Amino acid sequence: MQPLANITPIKPAARAGAVQLGGVGLVYKTSGQDVVAVSDVSIEVKPGRFAVLVGPSGCGKSSLLMMMAGLRHQTSGAISINGAPIEVPDPDRVGVVFQEPSLFPWLTAEENVEFPLTLRGVSKQERRAKAEEALQLVGLDGFGKRHPHELSGGMKQRVSIARGLVQDPPVLLMDEPFAALDEQTRMTMGDELLRIWAATGKTIVFVTHSLTEAVYLADEVIVMSARPGRIVDRLEVALPRPRTFEMLSGDAFGSLRDRIWRHIRKSA
Amino acid sequence: MSSTMLRRLIVISLIVLWEVLPRIGVIPELFLPSLSSTLLAGWNQAGEYGHALVVTLYEVAIGMVIACGGGILAGAVVGSLPRPRLLIMPMVSSLYAVPLVILYPVFTVWLGIGSESKIAFAGMYGFLPTMLATSAGIQTIDPQLLLAARSMGATLSQRVTRVVIPAAIPTVLSGLRVGGALVIVGVVVSEMLISSAGIGYLISRYRTILDSQHVFAGVLLVLAMAIAFNAMIKFVERRAAVWQTGTRAGPDMIAREIPAAATA
Amino acid sequence: MKSSLAVKATRFVIVAMVFAVWELLSRTGMINPRLLPSASDTIVTLADLLGRPGVRSDILVTGAEVLTAFVIAVPFGALVGLLIAESRYFAEVAKPLLFFAFSIPKSIFLPMFILVFGVGFAQKVGFGFFSTIFIVIMSTTTAVESVKPENLMVARSYGATPAQTVWRVYLPSMLPVLLEALRISMIFNLTGVMLAEMYASREGMGHLIANWGENFMMRQLLAGVLMVAIIAVSFNELVRWVETRCSHWRT
Ligand SMILES: Nc1ncnc2c1ncn2[C@@H]1O[C@H](COP(=O)(O)OP(=O)(O)O)[C@@H](O)[C@H]1O
Ligand SMILES: [Mg+2]
Repeated sequence: MQPLANITPIKPAARAGAVQLGGVGLVYKTSGQDVVAVSDVSIEVKPGRFAVLVGPSGCGKSSLLMMMAGLRHQTSGAISINGAPIEVPDPDRVGVVFQEPSLFPWLTAEENVEFPLTLRGVSKQERRAKAEEALQLVGLDGFGKRHPHELSGGMKQRVSIARGLVQDPPVLLMDEPFAALDEQTRMTMGDELLRIWAATGKTIVFVTHSLTEAVYLADEVIVMSARPGRIVDRLEVALPRPRTFEMLSGDAFGSLRDRIWRHIRKSA
Repeated sequence: MSSTMLRRLIVISLIVLWEVLPRIGVIPELFLPSLSSTLLAGWNQAGEYGHALVVTLYEVAIGMVIACGGGILAGAVVGSLPRPRLLIMPMVSSLYAVPLVILYPVFTVWLGIGSESKIAFAGMYGFLPTMLATSAGIQTIDPQLLLAARSMGATLSQRVTRVVIPAAIPTVLSGLRVGGALVIVGVVVSEMLISSAGIGYLISRYRTILDSQHVFAGVLLVLAMAIAFNAMIKFVERRAAVWQTGTRAGPDMIAREIPAAATA
Repeated sequence: MKSSLAVKATRFVIVAMVFAVWELLSRTGMINPRLLPSASDTIVTLADLLGRPGVRSDILVTGAEVLTAFVIAVPFGALVGLLIAESRYFAEVAKPLLFFAFSIPKSIFLPMFILVFGVGFAQKVGFGFFSTIFIVIMSTTTAVESVKPENLMVARSYGATPAQTVWRVYLPSMLPVLLEALRISMIFNLTGVMLAEMYASREGMGHLIANWGENFMMRQLLAGVLMVAIIAVSFNELVRWVETRCSHWRT
């Protein structure tokens, strides 16, 4: 791993951000009846930690992430990122990675990564340098000139992660980023993400519906109930790092996974 | 034999037959004059055809500005607003079922038999399909791209210039192809019906005096025009091929292709 | 379905408003009523025209031409389309040619039909056929291609007979595309016949419309346009209605 100029391994206390939600609720107003998507959710993710959000499909995980990203406003409660409330998207504080890689097909990988910088008028030279670094970090050096359609699903998602990291935000939000990938790519990407996380010390909030993925990646797992989404459990994953493939079949891993499963089965 | 070769063979034999059959009298020269005599006839009257071509091209150019400019604009507006879209688009496509050519007499009453009525008619003829194609295309812009741009702090104007417009380019091109082809047809047809100038007029005039060679020379000229236009758009489309993946291909792709040839 | 009712009502209001504006423009004299007779006058004229035996026979002539062309073009085009789609090699050879034929303007060949067939019934049918045939061929090949190989595979693995495969797999998969093709073919066909009648004819709706236009008979002209529009839109909506009824077949 090469030393990085702008995406620096940092001392968590000094630099990494924290995510704080207090009594957050969200109601979707539709033409039919209103949908209570999220109800009274309070979460605190300490700086530099890897938090994973799991819950049955439709329980409001994506909605919650959208609110943390400032892409949607909560109907009640408060959300703060890095100590200040978030009202509109603020790429300096929060990077977002979606399930679909959401790359602009008319831009090269490099230009895609540069995109957030382009929006703020950063000079071409500086953009190039930062994009190159971010691509290196996600293991894609040499692929910058390719267009998205020339990349595999896993590579696209790497570009998308690089884009989320290029402005070096303290918090990275990821909404089922590996859900569309095949099992093997998914495992590899999990390891890669852990490596990137270790290298950068970001605070990560990661949504998944795979219990194995949740336990494998997380410092803590936050379990949500079916709609309206509430927090039903919070588990510390005390497994040592680096996580290894062998842990998957261990007892500690199994009992954590079982405990999450029992919650989800109950609420479904 | 490769399929391309067989196809070339077919095309070549069709051209040869076009020359040979009328010459040996299998097809009367009145029905189909031989290729060489058609070209010769056109060449001998090159001045007249050139003059007519200028008139027709002028009408086509202005008609295209109306049809493509207006159609793309209207389609973009309607396509990006969900409510009006749901309301209006089905009505527009019903309207599309009406053989619009019956409106041409109305235009001649209103605007006379000069270029104005041709331009107005051709503009209207190309407008609806262009609008339909554009609106269908705008809808296929992946909303996820807009969301991603927003998450990176893009302002509204940045989202329009950096996401919507580049993503809409293939749509606009296909709108242009659809509308442009129809404008050409609209102008030529209206010239054929009632007018005093243009290639369509020449075709009709030579038809009434049963001068098949000159009729076909005119037909060939219009064909060349349509093919040239198509080739031009295709060229641009190929250069922008990377864009094509910016929209999600849907079942309405066929539907969008069809008006491209609605050139009855 | 409450909202769809509201949508229908709004559409009705929009159409009503178009007519109201038309009426107003003409009645108030904002547009010279001789250039734009009012909507009500046009509708009265339309009713009057429909009562005249001469006009009715012209409608019948046009109807006969359109139907004949359609009845010849659709089965013929469908057959050619099926044959082309049958063989991959043949499809590869024919498709670019077809697409080319499909995309060139047909109307400029109208004079040729007059030279060959004169200006009577045969010429209208011939030109209607010519206007329609390419779209029918293209749509049929598209329809065949829209049959999913995995569906065929499933049918075969459960031991479906060829008849069952046609009935249970081919037809349901192709039907939506075929209906859409029918709808669009009719648009092309009607346009072709109307144009042929307007260009050179002694009878038919197109002939009437062209004639009214040349003689500045705006009321009759607009009534004629309105009538053709109503017929075309009605047919279109009918096919669309059938399409939505069959939409549960769509995958
Ligand atoms: N824009 C919206 N309008 C109305 N309801 C919505 C909207 N977005 C999501 N929902 C509903 O809110 C609930 C939570 O959705 P989401 O956050 O996407 O869940 P998850 O990501 O956990 O699957 C779901 O029941 C969904 O149907
Ligand atoms: Mg989700």
